[in-house]
Amino acid sequence: MISITHFLVVSAIIFCIGLYAVLAKRNAIMILVGIELMINAAILNFVAFSRYDKINYGGQVFALFAIVLAAAAVAVGLAIILNVYKYYKTIDPSNINELRD
Amino acid sequence: MTYTVTAPITDVLDQIMASIPLFKPELLLIGGFIATIVSALFVGKRLRNFTFAVYLLTILITIYFLQAQLPTVATGFSGMWMIDPLSTYARIIIATGGGIIGLFIQQRHKLGNNGDVYSILLAAILGMNVLCNSSNWILAFIGIETVSIASYVLVGYFSQNKAQAEAAMKYALFGSVCAAVMLYGLSLIYGLTGSLDFQSPEQLQGLMVAPEPILTIALLFVFVGIGFKLSFVPFHVWSPDVYEGAPTAITAFLSTIPKIGALILFTRLYTAWSSTAFYFSDLTTSFILFVSITSMLVGNLAALRQKNIKRLMAYSSIGHTGFLLMAVFAYQANYPYLLFYIMAYVLMNLATFIFIDALEERTGSTALSAYAGLGRKMPILFTSLTVLAVSLVGLPPTIGFIGKLLVFTAVFDTYQMADEGAVLFLLIVGALTAVISLFYYFRIPFYAFLKNNESPDIVSSDSKILVWLGYVLTACVILLGLFPSILLNLITS
Repeated sequence: MISITHFLVVSAIIFCIGLYAVLAKRNAIMILVGIELMINAAILNFVAFSRYDKINYGGQVFALFAIVLAAAAVAVGLAIILNVYKYYKTIDPSNINELRD
Repeated sequence: MTYTVTAPITDVLDQIMASIPLFKPELLLIGGFIATIVSALFVGKRLRNFTFAVYLLTILITIYFLQAQLPTVATGFSGMWMIDPLSTYARIIIATGGGIIGLFIQQRHKLGNNGDVYSILLAAILGMNVLCNSSNWILAFIGIETVSIASYVLVGYFSQNKAQAEAAMKYALFGSVCAAVMLYGLSLIYGLTGSLDFQSPEQLQGLMVAPEPILTIALLFVFVGIGFKLSFVPFHVWSPDVYEGAPTAITAFLSTIPKIGALILFTRLYTAWSSTAFYFSDLTTSFILFVSITSMLVGNLAALRQKNIKRLMAYSSIGHTGFLLMAVFAYQANYPYLLFYIMAYVLMNLATFIFIDALEERTGSTALSAYAGLGRKMPILFTSLTVLAVSLVGLPPTIGFIGKLLVFTAVFDTYQMADEGAVLFLLIVGALTAVISLFYYFRIPFYAFLKNNESPDIVSSDSKILVWLGYVLTACVILLGLFPSILLNLITS
């Protein structure tokens, strides 16, 4: 029997993997992938919790909107990274540091 | 959401139809958004300023609808959409600021077909309106993401050099991470309470009985997303880089109006959550106290050693955010001083960035040292900039002084009622950082009037409209500082 705990554990693990991909930051695309994992962990949570909210299905609706918004943010992010590549010929964030104190 | 699945579909439809008038300004913004896209596509090549005209028209009609909505207090769309004077005033400020930013961009970026930028600006304004008008987490998240995505595009839109491309990338990556963390926090809150409306009794009851460790994580994760939009410490690290890298017109946008929407949302959240005697209220209150104090300290101290005026303004705006949070902390169902300070902040920042941009156009630099000896060449401009500096510090006779005075009075009243040491500390830090800020703001007139530069090279410029707009805004800063009752009567009536 799969209970809500299983969903929560899986989503927590996915979230941590995503966070690691973001913090390790070797490649801007990998950061975007990490962000996507974090968002999907949250979406998994929403859908799992929504099982106990049978009147309004707020979690399901939220999950749908979150998927759309995440796709929009990633599309913009990829365009911006492409633009960065045009100027720097690299997408390693640690090499892109013209702006700093 | 008040209806259940048993309600017949016709009732639900009736309710939606009845709520549409409350949504009129936003519907207009959506219409304007589509109209600007179409006009940029088909008309923009032949009539260069047509898209800008459509944009300005949309803004003006929106403001007209908003002022008609002023006395309304109502909820619609099953409680998802709420309207009160606080949100309506905030939306009017946002729309007006958006109009000024539109003019700023139109004057500064004349080359090429830039029509799309206005549709993005309208989308950002729409997102901020959503933030002002909701107590539902779904709408709050949609609003934050709309504003964020529009801002990423704006920062990268004109990118012509390495710095601008880098600023856009840092902003987009940092913002997306914060949004993802916030979404995870929201999912936890939804799991703990079963409700998505942060003012609803179900959510408050759920938060009261929730286990403390998981509640702490959930709340802090949610504050990460709001913190990114408000750029308070410790989520401020993106703002100096982005402010410096972005074109000045976009920096003026980023530093002013997106903060209003997020601040109104945070105010509603804080008033809903801080009123109980349970753990989550204590956490919210101590969080806002901590963040307010550290933002004021970090922002103002870091600004002291900046050599670039845009970086300096970034840190100064972090300091001002700390001060705005102080106003939120003292918020007790009456909003005049909160709105007054927001208005003062927007006015001062927009005028300052207009002058920074005018100087950037003439000297080709945003370094403070480039202003050396320019005071004699451009006396009126630098006098206005000095007046704005006085206002940003919060000295009379300017609007910044009245704003700070009102906030200090409100916080002092709270201190007298609660008699807590932390509140007194907040007051002391607020006053102390105002003194610190004197030193870095006054480096502008110091360089301009007291430093000598034998041959400053200035390029003449033909964009007179912007500078005049800056003078008008500066005049407002003094005028409303001398007669604050004009504005206060307007807000309280």
